[in-house]
Amino acid sequence: MSKAVSWRVALVFGALAALPLTPWMSKYYMLLAFDALLFGAVAMSLDLLMGYTGLVSFGHAAFFGLGAYSTAVLLERGVLSLWLCLGLAVVVVGAYALTVSYFATTRRGIYFALLTLIFAEVVYTFFRYTQTFGGSDGIQGLPAPQLLPGVAIDTPVRIYYLVVAYLLLAYLACRVLVWSHFGRVLVAIRENEDRARFLGYNVQRYKMGVCLISAILTGLAGALYPGRAAYATPDLLHWSISGEFIIMVMIGGLGTLVGPIIGGAFFILLQEKVSSYVEWYSIIVGLVLVLIVLFAPRGLLSFRRAPRGRPGGEAA
Amino acid sequence: MEDGVLLEVESVSKSFGALAALARVSLTVRAGEVFSVIGPNGAGKSTLFNVVAGLYAPTAGRVVLQGEEITGLGPEVINHRGLAKTFQITNIFPGISVYDNVRVAAQSRVPLSGRLPSLWRRPDVDGPVMELLAAFGLTGRRHELAQHLSHGEQRYLEICLALATDPTLLLLDEPTAGMTPGETKGATALIRQIARSRGLTVLLIEHDMSVVMGISDRIAVLHFGEKIAEGPPEAIRSDPQVIDAYLGGAED
Repeated sequence: MSKAVSWRVALVFGALAALPLTPWMSKYYMLLAFDALLFGAVAMSLDLLMGYTGLVSFGHAAFFGLGAYSTAVLLERGVLSLWLCLGLAVVVVGAYALTVSYFATTRRGIYFALLTLIFAEVVYTFFRYTQTFGGSDGIQGLPAPQLLPGVAIDTPVRIYYLVVAYLLLAYLACRVLVWSHFGRVLVAIRENEDRARFLGYNVQRYKMGVCLISAILTGLAGALYPGRAAYATPDLLHWSISGEFIIMVMIGGLGTLVGPIIGGAFFILLQEKVSSYVEWYSIIVGLVLVLIVLFAPRGLLSFRRAPRGRPGGEAA
Repeated sequence: MEDGVLLEVESVSKSFGALAALARVSLTVRAGEVFSVIGPNGAGKSTLFNVVAGLYAPTAGRVVLQGEEITGLGPEVINHRGLAKTFQITNIFPGISVYDNVRVAAQSRVPLSGRLPSLWRRPDVDGPVMELLAAFGLTGRRHELAQHLSHGEQRYLEICLALATDPTLLLLDEPTAGMTPGETKGATALIRQIARSRGLTVLLIEHDMSVVMGISDRIAVLHFGEKIAEGPPEAIRSDPQVIDAYLGGAED
């Protein structure tokens, strides 16, 4: 990472860390900020697939939801360690992601998207109708997870710092990944999959690899969610959530990592603000999104980036 | 391995439904030679290349590279056995820089490739990349997006991609397609020179007879999926069957 970029990252995260110190950060705003950053992180991990590899996943809600249920199941049974919750999420989401990506990566384009969607619908249906996991009510009234024994993450400020830390680590991991040998191959696959094969790259292996990484990052974000909401419900697994993730990436700017974070945060804030004034908020939200796609097709980030900054190009 | 035989195509057939694109074609390519495959449009030349390079599995027959059978293996595996290919229609990474194109090809051969640390490390392949770009006169264009290069430059870039994987056998599918006569002459000389200096064996598809006659050690002629002649350029030029195929069939 270049020096200028490191400074910018330090500045942004410094500001995020200082946010709770400002006087107008009520409990409500702390949790809203949590949501904005959490879904920004999810959009960023989806960008690894959409922006860098050229794969559109229509099933990321399943990774998110499975992460959330992993945490919920443990908290419900009195296992309060955050680290165990995250660990279980990695195992569950990882196993599921390997299965899905093994089948989905044998197909391209719309068929890949459809296969991810179909698998995610199976997961949704399973949790929606399985009483062990609370059926349509999900798992409710969960205790707060603990960072260390006795140190519960039970205040909005604590849970907020947790998501800031997660976003920072996930961002750095993604930055290194897209810069690396592996990341260069992903971009090559996006640009011309067949050419990459004839250069000796086992394309399916790379695609499965990036699906796994993207899924685990999304699942970890999901695993943090019950710490804020105290529940996990089948709604988190619904296909419309997957659609929202895609919209976040699109409005932020494909293949930029930072763009989707902004896109995710923007989407959450817009939805929350508009819905607190009018009931038919989705019409307004939809309208704003249409305007963005029409006037900034390369995403919100394109307003301040020179047009030369190609997705996945030299930026590293 | 027989002495000096690099590639053996043994009685390969390939059908697409009822269409027999290749019928029992056999070729033997020796190490270090430039071997050309010619024939009218639709003779099965590109299909033959795609079978050898692993895009299609043959319906019947065997392909042996450096003494090992490669029939039916995927292109990524065959590439690791020492075979690289360019395509009749330019096949590059259009949306990234010329330099990044060659870099991603070159890093396919570093020990790091395919290992876990490749997730967080990036190999330094600057040396070989710059060397290839210089050989094809692309050094000054390396920061351009590949899609902004001229047609001729893109053809060169594709050869760079293939060479960056350090092949023993290079398959060139009409490398001069769409070039002006002047460019064709330059490209032919360059290919010959680079093949010599790298000790490469080249299997070439070409329909420009002047290119083929000037560059090839041996030539095979395909016609409607069958090999009708094979030999040195002089013999091919005077072969009555070849003359008939070219004059009687669709001239291209």
